[in-house]
Amino acid sequence: MTRNRSLFALAALFILALVPAIVTDSYTRHIFIIAFIYGTVAVNWDLSLGLAGLFNFGHLAFFGIGVYTAAILTTSLDLSPWLAIPLGGVTAALAALLIALPVARLQGIYVVLVTFAFGQLCMQVVLSQGDLTGGAEGLVRLPYLRLGDYSFIRDFRFGYYYIALGLLTVSVASLMLLARSPFGKSLRALRDNPDYATARGISVARQRVLVLCASAVFTGIAGGFYAIYLRVASPEVFGFSVATLILSMVLIGGAGSILGPVFAALGLTFATEAMAGIRGLEEARFLVVAVAMILVLRIAPAGAIDIFARLFTPRPKS
Amino acid sequence: MDGVLIPTLVSGLLLGSLYALMASGLSLIWTTLGVFNFAHGALMTLSAYIAWTVSEQFGLGLVMGFVAGVGAAVIAGVLIELLLVRPFYGNRNMMLITVMTTLAASTILERGISMIWGPRLKQLPRTLDGQVSLLGAPVSAHEALIIVLAPAVLMALWWYTGRTRSGRSLRAVGQNPGSAALIGIDVPRTFSLAFGLSAALAGLTGVLLGSIRFVTPGLGADPLVNAMIVVIFGGLGSLGATAGAAYVIGLLEALLVLWLGLYWTPSVLFVALILVLVFRPNGLFGKAT
Repeated sequence: MTRNRSLFALAALFILALVPAIVTDSYTRHIFIIAFIYGTVAVNWDLSLGLAGLFNFGHLAFFGIGVYTAAILTTSLDLSPWLAIPLGGVTAALAALLIALPVARLQGIYVVLVTFAFGQLCMQVVLSQGDLTGGAEGLVRLPYLRLGDYSFIRDFRFGYYYIALGLLTVSVASLMLLARSPFGKSLRALRDNPDYATARGISVARQRVLVLCASAVFTGIAGGFYAIYLRVASPEVFGFSVATLILSMVLIGGAGSILGPVFAALGLTFATEAMAGIRGLEEARFLVVAVAMILVLRIAPAGAIDIFARLFTPRPKS
Repeated sequence: MDGVLIPTLVSGLLLGSLYALMASGLSLIWTTLGVFNFAHGALMTLSAYIAWTVSEQFGLGLVMGFVAGVGAAVIAGVLIELLLVRPFYGNRNMMLITVMTTLAASTILERGISMIWGPRLKQLPRTLDGQVSLLGAPVSAHEALIIVLAPAVLMALWWYTGRTRSGRSLRAVGQNPGSAALIGIDVPRTFSLAFGLSAALAGLTGVLLGSIRFVTPGLGADPLVNAMIVVIFGGLGSLGATAGAAYVIGLLEALLVLWLGLYWTPSVLFVALILVLVFRPNGLFGKAT
């Protein structure tokens, strides 16, 4: 089973690696790049929400922190974007450590509330620290990537395509390895039967801290790349809309399945971009995604959220 | 210092009153159904826009706007319960699923509102004109009304859930839906009641807020985050603790704005929240379980 899935993933990767040879217009490549970035964010959210069963609703904050780290470092400190992008992963992991401190000891709805409030407060901080972050207007005209004389904005997004695909591949591969490792097994044990897992010596608090930091690293790097690629950083990345879109990728793809959210990210990004092209649907596309998410939760609970049914051990509500 | 301190305390009271109104609506649904309604802020926004349309566009006056706004919020709230919460009742992961469905509902409402009413800022007229003096500080009569109204609404809610038959049925269903059904309480109707009542509180808060701040599609979402901080501090379980936490946060926020300015207040508030949770995981007034 896992062998088949790895082969399937390799075949998909092979096809995606050939796409730029066939697709030469930069707009289609752009949608692929955005889909790879969203896919990276979605699989890492899947690590904490699906695989570890941690009710993390502040995942997009790690993405936004990556975006603003890269943007601030390249504008205020003139750092090379090649360095600023990975540093987005570092700051996101540090933020994850901060939020993990209280989350490690909280239960149920309070985990949802604290992580959600964290994301919204990041946005408020970005808005209030206007000198550094540009406030509501955000930061624009960020530097682009160069390699010697090679400039990444004059090749019809050829280079950016492979960087984004590489980021997604490395992220998915390390998550698949992580899911099979003893650490990944301990996460699933905690999700499926917390009492038994604790009795076998697995620490809830420790695994929660580790899983939040691990899920933040690639998310932050993806954020840094997103900022450098689009050359803007705007506070919208912390908003409800992007969070709902990526959450729906995790749910429609199947939480806990790692590969599912990647394909959902590709499908949904192309679907929302296609809707943005239709007059009258530009504003409505996030609305459509939200409706789709509700329908998946209602109609296909066995498919898309099968995993949530196993999040808890059977226990009477008292 | 004296000259600034009193107005700061008054503005803290005002914030606390608004948070108390919001958080009590959230707590009402939580204690009855075990659902956290992420669309609460969007219901406030909806109510403010409907009130603006009825009172300003149709020119029917603020009272009619008030009634229409609260009515629209109640209808939307009951619909959310029927379509997005009830299908998942009894599901073991109901809490998590309803977080997602109400989050989606909030996106749908917010996007729908910005599509219907557009991005232009709107403002509702004040309920009362003129100024009054509160603790020696001049306050607009409208803000004074909110400060007086919030404790009155909370007292009424406390009286309703503790002393009346239908109010006590809410608590019975919250504690044990099976037994509540056995003694003849219509459980599904009670769920609708809880959502309707909470939505009415959201509608009331939305209209009151709409004449202090500009009415935008994000009107309810911003204070909702602070209302969340309130329920994290106070816990969702009891009305008294929630209301107490609302005033603590409101006053703290006002004092932080005075001492540190708007610039640092959100960060400091959040660090305070994390510190409280590290040392008291059950909230400021919560009891260890």
